[in-house]
Amino acid sequence: MNSSSPTTETDYIRSTHHEFLAASEKALRTPSLQIILGQLGDTLGQRNRDAWQQLPNSDLVRQRARQIKDDTLANLHEHLQTLEISVQARGGQVHWADDGHAASKIIVDLIKQRGYSRVVKSKSMTSEEIHLNPALEAAGITTVETDLGEYIIQLAGHRPSHIVGPALHLSAVEVAEILSQPAGRTLAAERETLAAFARQELRQKFAEAEVGISGANFAVAETGTIVLVSNEGNARLTTALPKMHIAVMGMEKVIPKLADLPYFLKVLARAATGQKLSVYTSFVTGARRAGETDGAEEFHLVILDNGRSQILGSPLRESLFCIRCGACLNACPIYRSVGGHAYGGVYAGPIGAVLTPLYDGLAANHHLPHASSLCGACQAACPVKIQIPEMLVKLREQMHDEPTLKNGMESFAYRMWAKTLKRPWLYRLSTWLATRTVGRWYRKSPWLKKLPGKLHGWTKKRDFPAPAAARFRDWWEKEGRHGS
Amino acid sequence: MAREAFLARVKQAAEIGRAYRVEHQQLAPDVGYVGVTGDACAKLAQEIDAVGGIATIVDSLGQAREILAGYLLEAEAKTALCWQHPLLMRLQLNELLAERNVTRVDYDSANSLTQPARRLEQLACEIGITSVDLAIAETGTLLMCHHPGQERLASLLPPVHVAIVEQSQIVPDLLDAFRILHERGVQNLPSNITLITGPSKTGDIELQLTTGVHGPGRWRVIIIR
Ligand code: SF4
Repeated sequence: MNSSSPTTETDYIRSTHHEFLAASEKALRTPSLQIILGQLGDTLGQRNRDAWQQLPNSDLVRQRARQIKDDTLANLHEHLQTLEISVQARGGQVHWADDGHAASKIIVDLIKQRGYSRVVKSKSMTSEEIHLNPALEAAGITTVETDLGEYIIQLAGHRPSHIVGPALHLSAVEVAEILSQPAGRTLAAERETLAAFARQELRQKFAEAEVGISGANFAVAETGTIVLVSNEGNARLTTALPKMHIAVMGMEKVIPKLADLPYFLKVLARAATGQKLSVYTSFVTGARRAGETDGAEEFHLVILDNGRSQILGSPLRESLFCIRCGACLNACPIYRSVGGHAYGGVYAGPIGAVLTPLYDGLAANHHLPHASSLCGACQAACPVKIQIPEMLVKLREQMHDEPTLKNGMESFAYRMWAKTLKRPWLYRLSTWLATRTVGRWYRKSPWLKKLPGKLHGWTKKRDFPAPAAARFRDWWEKEGRHGS
Repeated sequence: MAREAFLARVKQAAEIGRAYRVEHQQLAPDVGYVGVTGDACAKLAQEIDAVGGIATIVDSLGQAREILAGYLLEAEAKTALCWQHPLLMRLQLNELLAERNVTRVDYDSANSLTQPARRLEQLACEIGITSVDLAIAETGTLLMCHHPGQERLASLLPPVHVAIVEQSQIVPDLLDAFRILHERGVQNLPSNITLITGPSKTGDIELQLTTGVHGPGRWRVIIIR
């Protein structure tokens, strides 16, 4: 659905968020957002560089992580089967979900069958992708996000604007306004006060919850272990306190062996937040065992396809290497100008520009492959070295091959361009015309802000270089030759 | 069945996808190993401080007791959530707590309560006291394998977490820790293992660091040489 309805920032449903241009223009006009996005590059950038410097041969470690992903995908079905056997051997259950709808239904049914109604959730992009929260709500299940950022945006009704920092788009003053609602009093816009309030409020929710839902950063096939990486500790609480733990993961999260894990751990936090390791890394292997007093009594793993098998057999397969660290967002000049909401999907930034068209259809997200300058900063930042720019170009190609996505005027312009280049007399004539007309008009800058007619679609997203006041060949005849 | 169709689809896609595999390069087995040179205790302490904890190196159990007593005071602890661990036994933790009128909450005491009562008691503790299975010097990380007597909640629920580490528990690098897990047998992983590198942190409000949002905001490690 390519909706042209006005964008709001206040719903979870991405189908109304396909207005990249309007949303990015709005973001550019929001000063508080611009300040935060500026800090992303400045402070975080330096921390990342420091952390990488302290890992000798970091390039080879990234290479290693990349190889493990590549090898795993080549036999993904086998690793998933091994994972299933391992999880079952430890008393857990595995569920297979073809798409987001199926996954949500499995989760809702598991909870309802037991008569449970209170859920705490730790941050999971996959659950955003399948729109789990609305599905739980519709089934009358109370769901509380426990990651501070997710909790804030859940209360505000926003969507996440960053893979790692979902509430990055909000200032402390805005957060204070949002949290003052449940507090029933006006909270000061100080981080400590706000965090302390959230801690106290969420403790209550943890104590009451019957079900904990988490994602999975990795799933180890040989041991049936779900690995959860977090800085706050909410993932630990989510998996330690409630009676039932449901983990939901995209099928590409599986890695074959426990010994593969340290390479990912060594690069993930460095890329994400410039830490050597995140504060908490939890390995959850099955449910609570006999004699233990914490941990869930029941463990379920929901494995999601939702278009991934389509990608697995395509030239864009490499996008499945992504470990959701957010580094490409932080590095991207476009993301750092427009923020996450402009992308309109669950996954923002350069990798979002690849994933959203893949998961959600190219036609509905045709702006995204163009929302990149192809500068390569994302690829340089990526801990598994995903060739994001190359994939964006591939998507642009696909778009070109799809007749419904073709812009008639643009093709016409390119055809004319090709014809002109093939005929020297025509080329000479047109450059002469261009310099004598537009080239010599009064202009404030060497860029045209708006091309005439339908071509203005091109200048909606960028400026067009104006023709010079004189042709190079004329200049060369007059001046250039003397120097040679 | 959904499962068979799912796996058949993945198998087919994985096979087609092999046409797009990425370039490979032979890598040395120790790639990514950082380790430490010199004093492992000092390095561990330095890294713990760097991630926002406070580490103290002591030479004897007696000194460790003194430091711990200071932390009990600082936390104004009336109840302590404790592991039952050989090192804590040697430290005579029970006696220390009794002397200070701090109620000890541990596996044995929790087991005598019903689930809701146990949770309330655990949630109310002011300090958590644990040892570790391993400590990783390079990153300032504590590795904990959870079993009855070594509960996850002790390092998670209270606002202060104190861990007592002995030199013999320290390994240089994360890769060493994984090697040891392997030696103990990967098929026998406990239901939960946690790596802890710092006090609970968030950068969710304006990218500024805030501690203690869910886990302990104060993280103290006593290292016994
Ligand atoms: S594409 Fe790479 S840099 Fe971007 S989120 Fe995924 S792993 Fe991180």
